[in-house]
Order: sequence, then structure tokens, then C-alpha cells
Amino acid sequence: MPTVIIDGKELTVDKGTNLIEACRALGLEIPHFCYHPGLPVVGQCRMCQVEVEGQPKLAIACATEAADKMVVRVHSERAVKARKAVLEFLLLNHPLDCPICDRGGECPLQEYTMAHGPGKSRFAEQAIDKVHRTKARPIGPYVIFDAERCVLCTRCVRFCKEVPGTAELGVIQRGDRSEIGLFPGKQLDNPLSGNVIDLCPVGALTSRDYRFKSRPWDLVARVDTTCALCSTGCSITMDVRYLKARREVLRVRPRVNKAVNTYWICDQGRFGFHFIHDEARLRAPSVREDGHRRSLSWDEALGRTARGLAEALRAGAGTVGVIASSRLTNEEAYLLQRFARDVLRTPNLDFRLRPEQEPTGDRKLDVLRHADQTPNTRGLRAIGLLPGAGGLGVAEMLAAARDGRLKALLVIEEDPLGDPRWAGPGQEAFARLDQIAVADLFLTRTGEAGHVVFPARSYAEKEGSFTNAEGRVQRVRPAVEPPGQIWSLAEILGGLARHLGTPFPMLGPREAFEALVREVPAFAGMGYEALDPVGLPLSGNGKGSAG
Amino acid sequence: MSAPAYEKVILRNLQDPGYRGTLAEYRARGGYSGLPKALQLQPQEVIDLVKQSGLRGRGGAGFPTGLKWDFVPKDLALTKYVAINGDEGEPGTFKDRQLLEQEPHPIIEGTVITAYAIGAHVAYIYVRGEFVEGAKVFQRALEEAYAAGFLGKNILGSGFDLDFYMHRGAGAYICGEETGLLESLEGKRGQPRLKPPFPAVKGLFGKPTVVNNVETVSNLPPILVGGPEWYAGIGVPPKNTGTRIFSISGHVERPGNYELPLGLPLRELIFEHAGGIRGGRQLKAVIPGGASSPIFTPAHLDVKMDFDSVAAAGSMAGSGGVVVMDETTCLVRVARVIAHFFAHESCGQCTQCREGTAWLHKMLTRIDEGKGRPEDLEVILDVCDNMKGKTICVLSDAAAMPIESYIKHFRDDFEHHIRGGACPTGMA
Ligand SMILES: Cc1cc2nc3c(=O)[nH]c(=O)nc-3n(C[C@H](O)[C@H](O)[C@H](O)COP(=O)(O)O)c2cc1C
Ligand code: SF4
Ligand code: SF4
Ligand code: FES
Repeated sequence: MPTVIIDGKELTVDKGTNLIEACRALGLEIPHFCYHPGLPVVGQCRMCQVEVEGQPKLAIACATEAADKMVVRVHSERAVKARKAVLEFLLLNHPLDCPICDRGGECPLQEYTMAHGPGKSRFAEQAIDKVHRTKARPIGPYVIFDAERCVLCTRCVRFCKEVPGTAELGVIQRGDRSEIGLFPGKQLDNPLSGNVIDLCPVGALTSRDYRFKSRPWDLVARVDTTCALCSTGCSITMDVRYLKARREVLRVRPRVNKAVNTYWICDQGRFGFHFIHDEARLRAPSVREDGHRRSLSWDEALGRTARGLAEALRAGAGTVGVIASSRLTNEEAYLLQRFARDVLRTPNLDFRLRPEQEPTGDRKLDVLRHADQTPNTRGLRAIGLLPGAGGLGVAEMLAAARDGRLKALLVIEEDPLGDPRWAGPGQEAFARLDQIAVADLFLTRTGEAGHVVFPARSYAEKEGSFTNAEGRVQRVRPAVEPPGQIWSLAEILGGLARHLGTPFPMLGPREAFEALVREVPAFAGMGYEALDPVGLPLSGNGKGSAG
Repeated sequence: MSAPAYEKVILRNLQDPGYRGTLAEYRARGGYSGLPKALQLQPQEVIDLVKQSGLRGRGGAGFPTGLKWDFVPKDLALTKYVAINGDEGEPGTFKDRQLLEQEPHPIIEGTVITAYAIGAHVAYIYVRGEFVEGAKVFQRALEEAYAAGFLGKNILGSGFDLDFYMHRGAGAYICGEETGLLESLEGKRGQPRLKPPFPAVKGLFGKPTVVNNVETVSNLPPILVGGPEWYAGIGVPPKNTGTRIFSISGHVERPGNYELPLGLPLRELIFEHAGGIRGGRQLKAVIPGGASSPIFTPAHLDVKMDFDSVAAAGSMAGSGGVVVMDETTCLVRVARVIAHFFAHESCGQCTQCREGTAWLHKMLTRIDEGKGRPEDLEVILDVCDNMKGKTICVLSDAAAMPIESYIKHFRDDFEHHIRGGACPTGMA
């Protein structure tokens, strides 16, 4: 492992580490535009020039591997002048519209200019000869391009070529006429297109979704969590601000996780979160009476449900079924399977409604997205949210309901009646059930058929963990408050147990996780804190005990 | 007064006014007798022989040809390529054009020798897009060479195979830079690559590649025939051997291509071979090696025109394009025109070059139009300094260094413009 000396400080790094990363390890930022650790090095912007002893020319830090005994001077007079010059060159034709630019406040060009740049422009051609270009042109469903702000780092071009492999963007023309552009007939519409917004070191590529919504300094929280929109489980940060006295998620950005998503997330994960703030979210429990839905208190709703369940239980063992979603956290799943076993005393428990949830075959839609659009299938399987001995799966539960063997059904965050595969058998089955209790974010088809409907929390309101398709257990954190008084699933289960008069422990997410660690071998040895920042893999095959 | 005559190596056949450069004519004058000699040697022997000849690249950098070949990995299993640079974009240079149009076979013969030496079985020539005639002639020559067995399978019964393809450029100077050329050959946007790796190690399609200029390889057949000692005896041995074609243009009586030994004094070039300054005017300035080279003044007339002497005098022999300017020339206008060229041709990937070339052009245009400011020259010189030695290829340096030299040697022209708002030479 080579030891370099950077501005007098010795540092030992892995072989192959470039000088930008080496400096970063020393807490020293070498300004750079074109370099990005997830993209091929092109050495174009020339912003990262440093002096390396014994080399006549300045070196670009991004393309210079740290070598043993290499002496690097980041702050030599020559290097500082060269970097200042690059900034001066970049600012010649820059519109300097920072006050109205979405990047303002989190723009490397702005930051470097404040820290290292020329104070004053020597460009006398400004008024007559400054290059003007297209502003605010939509180039895809999510991205707007402002050519004047572009510093031609080509990160966006390289990203589209290398990561999704779709290569919609290129540099058109040459010299100072160079401009980023779409190839003829193309749109920037690959499933990962939003990443160019984060990659762009200036405000040239901005989000049509986030545009003008906020300033970075309005954000009150950046919450590190895990995307729940497919089984890949990308590490994300939710940026939160106050809107009308409520916290609101403004945007979702990728968080570096070499084991999962490296530097990227898909457009679904980035832009698909708005449902959490949808007006149609359920905010209170309701009950169906004479074809109408009526809101009622949590206590009433839990009481009614408990009475229905108790009645079913009196008819014998195994008369109750539970269909749960693989959107549940590991901790929710743990509590739910205990609730089914200890309170409902039923082995009829399942989550498998879709073929993508089966653990076979290659389920990747592209470099990131997983065909299974739920975050925790693997976790539910490991925890055993599956039919117990002699228990019924989804199809069997519906069949049992149709011929009157199953009396009551709990459906958590799933919508079999809204799914063409299940709607047929489901309708008949649901018509015969004595008690249907549903918990979900919205009033689904299944919810409409439900006797009691509870509102549920979204992934932006839950705490706990998910296990992704690869078996990596990662933290989920609440970024916002639920839109109404919405109990957690743990509280709902606790409430039902109380009404049923069966003891059931009230466990918070951490305690539930610790119980999982004790009881489920695949989780053995994990610590809740140790899940940060990039998660931990399940041990063994992680396939769980049942199923 | 007739100019002294020197032995010609490359343009020898063209002294005969009836010569058309067909295969038959070339062979009738001893053409394609260097190739069989090479094929009888081991590839390494060919490399060593070329090293002994002292041949240096005629494309601009003057890099020793044999040494470049020697950098190519010797691993026989590796695919390797030869790329011949016929992009000839350097302003003031028009020698490769003449070779392509009038003497194509030595290029082919030299290319086969190069390919044999490094073990390549595919060669490309990249011909400047504007060379319509050259491309036509060269294509015909390729067909003749294939038909006669100098290209294709089992060349001259040696067991050595070579396919040679022509690729035409589309009007970008930067595609003459060797890695820009390779990108363009690969069908990509023509822009230079970050080096290392150098083409000899990782070139065309990622494989070891030798890039040589058209004129450079045209020297190889005579070197094989005459032997390295003979060649090294021409010019200024040991490091500046052989002849080169000087393209002389501008204010001389007889502009044209002149093949002369390396090391002739600039004075002899201009005043004897090119017939002196037109209309008996005074010499003012000379670009000695294409638009990229820093300028010379009459004080430089005794500089010997070889790689090392021109470099020692503060410029570069470059591509051999000699542009002569008489006393009616305003260096501000020259600077503006040349700055425009580089601003137009910068590929634009490096910040300093993309922005600097355009900025220089804007400032020089303003000065030329009489709107200069006293501080402009210092800003120009500082911008030049910020552009030099800091980019992926040397186009940025090539844009900055001449401008610096114009201001250094002809500061009066610039100051006059800035102070008086007009041109001292009265150039319109
Ligand atoms: C901007 C730029 C343009 C160039 N254009 C040409 C050209 O048109 N023809 C050429 O032979 N070499 C050109 N070169 C030099 C080539 O990069 C390379 O050095 C040369 O082709 C090598 O051949 P040689 O060793 O036989 O000279 C250019 C270099 C630069 C930096
Ligand atoms: S748009 Fe942004 S990412 Fe793309 S080249 Fe310009 S500055 Fe770089
Ligand atoms: S120096 Fe200029 S021409 Fe050369 S690679 Fe950089 S931008 Fe392109
Ligand atoms: S970051 Fe090194 S050249 Fe751009």
C-alpha cells in the first residue's frame, strides 16, 4: 500500500487510489467537476490540478494514482493559479444567475468560486460577445437543461452511456460552441435519467419535479433511509422541509452504498414518492355501514374488529387468515407472525400474491430495478410470514372463505381485489367472510370490501428495516409525520390483542428487531445500530424457516 | 540565380514532369524494392535499422520513428494496428497532400514496412476530408497494390498479411492529433484521449497502434534500399537526419513544396529556394513550422531548419510549414486569424483550451478593430500562460505559444493598435 505525502501530511492508501480520493481521506477537497467515482475518468475539466514533485507539468489529481513516496502539493502557488484560471475560464460565459438557479446553495461551481475563484472578471467581451444559449429546455420526462450553466464536464453524457447504456446525450459541436444535446430522435427517458440531476455539478440539469420548490437552506432534515419501491432497496436520503406547518418530503436522492446501488437510484425511487403526500391518503379508521363508509375512533374500530375476530375464533381453530404485504418492515412482519400465532392461533398467513415475489430467476429489470416492486419479500420469507404447519396460502384462504371454512380475514397493505389475478376468486370469497379488516394507505378495492378499514403508514413514516432481494438488511427511517393520527402496525396489533384480552408484548422497532435477532437465525448477531449506513447481510441462506 | 541542388529522397520521382505516380511508373523507378528487403529481415531488425537511420516523425512532434515502434509490445498474439496520419490540418502545410495526390505508392510501401516491423495485419490511413483528389488517387493506388500482391495475403510470398483501408476525415483539425484520429477511426467524436496510455500500448480499439505521418513512412522505402547509414548521412546527424518537405507559402516569389536536407539555414530556404520576398519587399516575420509554431523574425534567418536547432531558437520545426510575411503584414491581424483558427478547431473538452482559445480570439479581434485596452496585452499573456502545459493534448499550447511570440517579438504592432486604435501597416 503506497504512502503519499500530501501538503506535508503522510497518508497510506490502497493501491489504485487517485489523488482526489486520497485527499478526501485527509479531509481535503480537491475541486473537481468531471471526476465522479462512479464514472470513467476523462480528465477534461482540468479543475483538479495539483503539483507532484518531480513532474514538470501539473498533474490532474483525478487521473493520478497515489504512488509510494509521491510528494503532492495541492496548495503550491502554481497549482492554485492553475485552478483559479480554470474557474475564471468556466465563469467567462456563465450566466451568473445563481439567485434563480435551483442549484444555488449546493453548487460546486459556486462553492469553488467563493473559496478559490477570481474576485473579478477580466473578460471585457462580456456585454457584446458573451455566448448565450438555450435556457430551460425539457430534455426528458424529469429533466430540464440549461445550456448556459453547463460546464461541459460530460458527467451526464458518460452516465447515460455507461450506466443505463442508453447514450441519449452527447456533446454537439466543438470548441466554445460545444453543447450537451440529445441525439436525434432521443429523449432523456431512460429509467435512471434522474441521476444526471445529482451528477451535474452546476444547475444545468435540474429536476422538473423539484424545480423551484425549495432552496437547500429551507430543508429542515435529510433523512437517511431505504427506498421501498422495489426489492433492490437502494440507499436514499429524503430531503424534508416544512410546508404549511407540516413536514414534507421534497426530493429523494441516492446515498452511496457500494453493496446495493453504488451512486444511483432509479427514476421510480426518485420521483415516485409523491403518493405519500396524496390527498387521498386514509387518515382515520372507517367502517362500512349500509353501503356507506363512516369514520370512527381508533378504539371503536379496534373493538369492532376484535369482536369479529373473537366470533370467528369461537367457531374453531384456523378460521382466521392474514394476508400481509411485503411492504411491511422486518419488525412489523415479526410482530404480525407472532400475532397470528399467539393471538389469532392461526397458521393461515401469507404474502405471496405475485409471481415476482418467488425467489427464483433473475428478477432485475435493469441495472437497478427489481421486478418485485415491494421492498421486503426476502425479509418476510426469512421471518416466515408464510403458512405454518397445515396453514393456508392466499389461494387456499380464498377458497376456504368461499366454502365458509374461513370466517375472518386481516389484509395488511395488500389489495387482492385490485389485482386482476385475484379479483375473481377474491370477490366471491370476500362476499362470504364475516369479518374483513384492512389496513392500507388508500381506500383500495379490498378496502371497499372491508368491514373495518385502518389507515396505514407509508415507508416515509415507518421506522425499522427492510431486507432486500440480495438479503441485505437496511434501515428505514421516518422522514415525515403520517398525514393524520395513524397508528403503527405494532400499535394496531397491540390494540387488537388488548380488546381480545390476549397478552401481546408492545415492542418498538428496536425491540422487535432485537427479538428477531434472538429468534430468527438469519438475523443472528446483527445489531440495530450496525445496520447503518449500508446494511448487513442475512446470515446463512437467509431463506427462513418456513416456505 | 539558381538554388543549390540537393539529393531528394521522397520527391525524387516527381522531378520528372511526366510522372503520375502509378504503380507501373513507381516500380519502373525502383519502387517496391525496399519492401522485399524489409520482409527478409526479422521485424526487430527493421526497427533497429530505422532507429539507426535517425528518422524522426514528420507529422509535428519529431518523435524518433524506430523508438516509437519499439514501444509496441512484442507479444505476437496481440492484435496491433498501424494508422497513417494524412489529416494534414496544420495551417501552412501542404506536403502530405502532394504525396497523396502524386506519389501514393511510397506511402503504401512504407506502411507495409511499418506494419511488418510491429506485427500489425491491419492498417488505416486517415485522409483529410478536403483531399478529394488525394483520396481518389490513393484509393486507386491501394487497389493497384492489392492487385500486384503488395497488400493482402502473403505479401510477396513472405507469409505476411496486411489489409490497408482508407478512412476520410470530415474537416476537423483535431482529428490529426493521433488519439483524436484514433477516436474518429473508431467512429466516435474526434477528440484526443487522456494519456497515458499511449497509442503504442493502447491505441485503436484498445490495441497497440503506431501512428505515423504520411511523409514519415514515405521515407522508409528509400531507407531500406539505401541503408540507414546513407540516410543518416543526409542532414545533421545523428539526431536530425534525412530530408523533409518544407511547404513554403506567403510573401515569397516561388511558394511551394521543397524537399531539402534537415538543417539548411532559414535564409537559404527563403531566399534561394523560394526566390526571396515577393516584389523585393522586406521580410518581417516567418512562421517556421506551421501555425502552431512560435514566430521568427529576420534575426532568426540563420537558424538551421532542423528539429533541435529550431527548438533551441525558441520555436518548433513542427510540420515543416513555413509561412513568410513581409513588411506589409500586421501581426495583430495574424494573431487574430490564427487565434480564430484554434478557437474554431479546439475540440472543447479541456476548459482552458475551449474557453481560452475563444477568449484570445475575442480579445485579438477587439484589438484589431481598434478597441483595445492598455491592460489587454497582460491579460492575453496571462491567459496564454494559463493555457499552456495543462491540457489533454497540445492544441491549447499550440494556440497560446504563437500568440505569446507575436507579442514578444512584435509588441509595437499591438501597442500601436491599442494606443492609436489603428494598424501601423495600414492593413485593411
Ligand atoms: C492538434 C494537433 C494536430 C495534429 N495534426 C496532425 C496532422 O494533421 N498530421 C500529422 O501527421 N500529425 C498531426 N499531429 C501530430 C500527431 O499527433 C502525431 O504526433 C503524428 O501523426 C505522429 O506521426 P509521426 O511520428 O510520423 O510524426 C497533430 C498534433 C496535434 C496536437
Ligand atoms: S449538463 Fe451538467 S453534467 Fe452535463 S456536461 Fe453540463 S455541467 Fe456536466
Ligand atoms: S487541448 Fe484543446 S483540442 Fe486538445 S483535447 Fe483539450 S480541448 Fe481538445
Ligand atoms: S476532475 Fe480532474 S480533470 Fe476534471
